[in-house]
Amino acid sequence: MSEPILKVENLKKYFPIRGLLRTVGYVKAVDGVSFEINKGETFGLVGESGCGKTTTGRTILRLIEPTDGNITFEGKDVTRLKGEEMKWFRRKAQIMFQDPYSSLNPRQTVFEIIMEPVRFHGIEVDDPEEFVIKLLESVGLNEMHLYRYPHEFSGGQRQRIALARLLALKPEFIVLDEPTSALDVSVQATILNMMKELQREHGFTYLFISHDLGVVKYMSHRMGVMYLGKLVEVGPADKVFENPLHPYTKFLLSAIPVPDPELARELKKQRMKVEGEPPSPINPPAGCRFHPRCPFVKDVCRREEPPLVEVEKDHYVACWLYAKS
Amino acid sequence: MQEEYKKGILDRLADKFVDALGSFISLFKKDWKRRNRSKMEEWKLMLYALNRSPPGLIGLALVLVFVFLGIFGPMLSPWNYRFFPSLYNPDTYLAPPGSEFTLNVTELRNGQFVNYVTTIKFPLGADHYGRDLVSLILYGARVSFVISIVVIVLGVPLGIILGLIAGYYGGKIDELIMRITDMFLAFPALILAIAFSAVLPSRLQEFISSHEILKQLTLWLFALKPQDAGNLGKLLAVIFAMIIVWWPAYARITRGSTLTEKENLYVEAARAIGLSSWSIMFKHILPNIIGPILVYVTLDFGGVILMEAGLSFLGLGATPPIADWGRIVYDGSQYFPEKWWLVTFSGFMIMLVALGWNLLGDTLRDILDPKTRRSIEFKVKKAKQMEEGEENA
Repeated sequence: MSEPILKVENLKKYFPIRGLLRTVGYVKAVDGVSFEINKGETFGLVGESGCGKTTTGRTILRLIEPTDGNITFEGKDVTRLKGEEMKWFRRKAQIMFQDPYSSLNPRQTVFEIIMEPVRFHGIEVDDPEEFVIKLLESVGLNEMHLYRYPHEFSGGQRQRIALARLLALKPEFIVLDEPTSALDVSVQATILNMMKELQREHGFTYLFISHDLGVVKYMSHRMGVMYLGKLVEVGPADKVFENPLHPYTKFLLSAIPVPDPELARELKKQRMKVEGEPPSPINPPAGCRFHPRCPFVKDVCRREEPPLVEVEKDHYVACWLYAKS
Repeated sequence: MQEEYKKGILDRLADKFVDALGSFISLFKKDWKRRNRSKMEEWKLMLYALNRSPPGLIGLALVLVFVFLGIFGPMLSPWNYRFFPSLYNPDTYLAPPGSEFTLNVTELRNGQFVNYVTTIKFPLGADHYGRDLVSLILYGARVSFVISIVVIVLGVPLGIILGLIAGYYGGKIDELIMRITDMFLAFPALILAIAFSAVLPSRLQEFISSHEILKQLTLWLFALKPQDAGNLGKLLAVIFAMIIVWWPAYARITRGSTLTEKENLYVEAARAIGLSSWSIMFKHILPNIIGPILVYVTLDFGGVILMEAGLSFLGLGATPPIADWGRIVYDGSQYFPEKWWLVTFSGFMIMLVALGWNLLGDTLRDILDPKTRRSIEFKVKKAKQMEEGEENA
């Protein structure tokens, strides 16, 4: 459980903004993110829309080239992989997307969709049909669906097909990019449980990206909270939920809807108030990026960026309330 | 609105046709029919939709007739296009439709002069060599057919490939390809084609004369006699010129569709699998954007034929005595309106073919678009459920 399978250090991704003739600025989507994921665990990444969590996931898989930083997967530097080694990495690390309506090629049958990665990576299969049927059964579909097209399936079924496509490669590390946010709640639960089940069975390592805190709590062993391209808090999921340290985390947690109206009214009184919108990642505020909205803002927050400090065991936070300047 | 769906004769024919096609492919690819049931279902739906569009059926019929004439026309032709009756009987010069003449023919066959008497009928009249217009139109069909196929088959894929590359890679490659495309699009297509077909013939003639096999092949394709080998240069020049002006439009549309299509997550999923850019372009993006392009191709078949006729009318392209519809209109225009039949009948053929392709293209646009096909799909499903319900009861 303790050896890191993936190590991300100071990962940066800046998207250039092109003016008429030259680059006029950068969108700093991911700006110095570091974390580790241990083998067999789920690392949850939460944050609001536009905070860079999806970009982080894609950059780790090199679907987007990182601007700077190191990514180490099973001891190999992912940013420098080429040729056969890259092919190896593509097989070991996979991604599942948010939108099941566009992640499957509408012109391929389920059989073709699942067999394509298998053929490309030269995985030997005795009987392709039987192989695909077994995979389909493991995600709760059946033989009947083998030669159908994606448009003949519901959202949940499509997500299952996408999952079967991943399983065909037997990867070790999977980025789950909000895999259930496009589905309704009952289907969400089945898919999430299936993923947990598969993790237990095959020992997958997940990077679970979501804006849904409840889902992250349910899925993750450890989690990170992102704000405007930076990690503000990292720690074991239960500790982060029980004892949130960063003001932004506290704010997020207080915004989780409560299914009891009495309690909700009570909580609303003591809810943390955070004003305004997140600033633009093109021109992030100096010092701590949360300072314009933070109720506990101090002078130092405006000047210097807070370092990530360990407050309790394995629980890190980047906030001047806990760090010494 | 509550129109019930009933299968007509045409629909049943469509069913049979698709099933037969499936069985036929299964002969070569094992299990194809079983694996592609969904695809065959979709083909059937498209054919049902076609059956419900009279203009589409008319277009299809016209196109099929044209294709038939294009392939078999020269064989069906009663007279050879290089047989000049006015040599034997001056009265056949511009003979009107329905007239009939007796010819006293002297021909050189195997080094000997042969004399015989024959009668020639002109159902649609004769041209200024006394040639039968029916035969000319049949030979002309082959010329138009081959030219349109060659231009489309060579020009369209060129445009598609360049458009795919530009759209998929973006950045500098995109800029380079699209600026070149813009250069071609900056001139009116016809003007550019005129320029090229005026410049190219001598070079092409040289080339084709020095390659015997190519020469024979071209003559065979156009159903021409060996005596016309010297006229191939101009014909090929027109084809070349049209290919050159035809691809930019396709590069444009393909690039546009590629730009929208590549945003889909399945493209990213394919990249995550590790597939090369090339196979993503051709196996994932292309099949998803080919529909609208096919519609364009269909509409453009008519366009190519019109432009070819236009170029021939301007004196470029086919040289007499090669039978070419545009050329016949050009030659006939000098005698119009007194000798109206040359212009009228060949012009009418050009119009019918262009109309046929356009009607077919318009209908294809409708039936390839899932949104317009949805209603018929719905009706078919309902009808099927009713049928099954009856069987169960």
